[in-house]
Amino acid sequence: MKRNWMLICCLGVMTFLVGTAIAQEPTKPEAAPKLPADMPLLSANSNPNDENALPQRTKRTRQARHTTKREQSERAEGEQRFRENCGRCHQPPHKFPPRVMAAAIRHMRVRAMLTDEDMRLILKYMTQ
Amino acid sequence: MLSFGKAGFRKLAGAAAAVLFFALNALGQTQSQTGDVKPIPILQGSAGFITNFDGGDAHLAPIATPVVLVPVGERWLFETRANFETDMVQLPGRSGFHGQVEKQVDYAQIDFIANKYATVSVGRFLTPFGIYNERLYPVWIRNLQSDPLTLPIGIGPSNASTGVMVRGGFKARPQFDINYTVYFSTLVTTTPVDSDRFAGGRAGIFVPKARLEVGGSFQHLLQQERSNLFGFHAVWQPTKLPLDIRWEYARSKRGSGYWLEPAYKLSQLPFLQNEMRRTQLVARYQQFFTGQLASDSLPPVNTKQFEFGVNYYFMDGLKFTTNYGRQFSSIGNKNVWTLGLTYRFVVPMGPEGGRR
Ligand code: HEC
Repeated sequence: MKRNWMLICCLGVMTFLVGTAIAQEPTKPEAAPKLPADMPLLSANSNPNDENALPQRTKRTRQARHTTKREQSERAEGEQRFRENCGRCHQPPHKFPPRVMAAAIRHMRVRAMLTDEDMRLILKYMTQ
Repeated sequence: MLSFGKAGFRKLAGAAAAVLFFALNALGQTQSQTGDVKPIPILQGSAGFITNFDGGDAHLAPIATPVVLVPVGERWLFETRANFETDMVQLPGRSGFHGQVEKQVDYAQIDFIANKYATVSVGRFLTPFGIYNERLYPVWIRNLQSDPLTLPIGIGPSNASTGVMVRGGFKARPQFDINYTVYFSTLVTTTPVDSDRFAGGRAGIFVPKARLEVGGSFQHLLQQERSNLFGFHAVWQPTKLPLDIRWEYARSKRGSGYWLEPAYKLSQLPFLQNEMRRTQLVARYQQFFTGQLASDSLPPVNTKQFEFGVNYYFMDGLKFTTNYGRQFSSIGNKNVWTLGLTYRFVVPMGPEGGRR
């Protein structure tokens, strides 16, 4: 009987988690691409030519005016490295706040044995 | 004889300033290797609620795995993962499902990023033999919820090693990166953190443009039969197709075998695109051959297994997963199937927002 309660609790926890997961879903950009913004990363792996597959898309137009050529090329390079590396083991993740991303990238550097340069460029791309 | 005039002093001061400038510049560069964003401690958690039907018996397996990451300074990282898992079954004469919660520390290690080429880790770490244990094991990552038959080969009694490991990844040529890890583990007999005494290594070549990695693992057991173990792996994600192909082979005195797992996202289908791009079809074929010596954790007879599964990703950390498989061996064929929901989240343990 006690175990049945445990089962119910587990189901309760799962429902809660699913709820928070859905609540955490990043809000959609105004100029909404027709697919939700959280999905991009799924397809960064699946369809490399899909523009919607990029986490940085929304800010891009606004920032473009201010970024220098070098920054732009670094970002393009970061994006490229992200596509090459971040879907190899798991679904490529969506963007997290910069300092969270920095911790995760350091973890991935160790776990996935990313190169120093990969780490720098991907972090830059994921946090801008 | 050395004598300093005013001009000499100026030269010296100039040289000192130049040295200081270059030193600071170099320091600045090492700092910017991690970007100008300072990492904070984070909690990554994953949970799964998996139902297995193994040859007709239902098992409920709720599982939760918190991971704590504490970055320190520019070059250090403390990482640990715990695992809480229950295998609940129906017992004859009693109602409901029953089982005990098993708790384990999967790993607890300190990593020091020494330079571009090497990171040193000390503590209890996931044994990097093959790729499954270290890279694909968490419920939110694996495409099929059942473990490969060959998983226990080379990873030690509790999937982890206790000792020291050096690893790194670097660009060897413009076309490819090399990654390597070498490790030594000592004997620990305290359950559930037991480990074997062995030394080993793994190396891989990764071609970013082709998204192809191939590699091999080696291990020498420094106890019991003192044998050598080998393994090979390959991971390929063709850039033109939403396809992942993973393969692993392992050989030891206690058994050998391989698995091959293609996974295909339906994102290229022209209809129901929003649903299709979240749907992944997975298949896995595996074969296991017994070795000269017996093992508790490996199948007792030659075994073949075929599985087919469907995953649906509601979002990047949340998926519904199901798979059906059939196992063939001389002690009887059986069906294995699973149904489950897995979830992963990442939360900061400190002020998350801005730059340093
Ligand atoms: C070699 C395989 C591999 C590659 C490549 C990889 N990851 Fe991971 N990643 C993992 C594993 C394994 C975990 C789970 C760690 C655990 O639970 O112990 C993980 C976890 C994560 C997490 C959750 C937080 C954490 O650190 O545990 C994030 C975010 C993440 N990865 C991002 C990335 C990004 C971004 C990239 C590309 C730079 C990447 N990963 C490349 C294997 C990989």
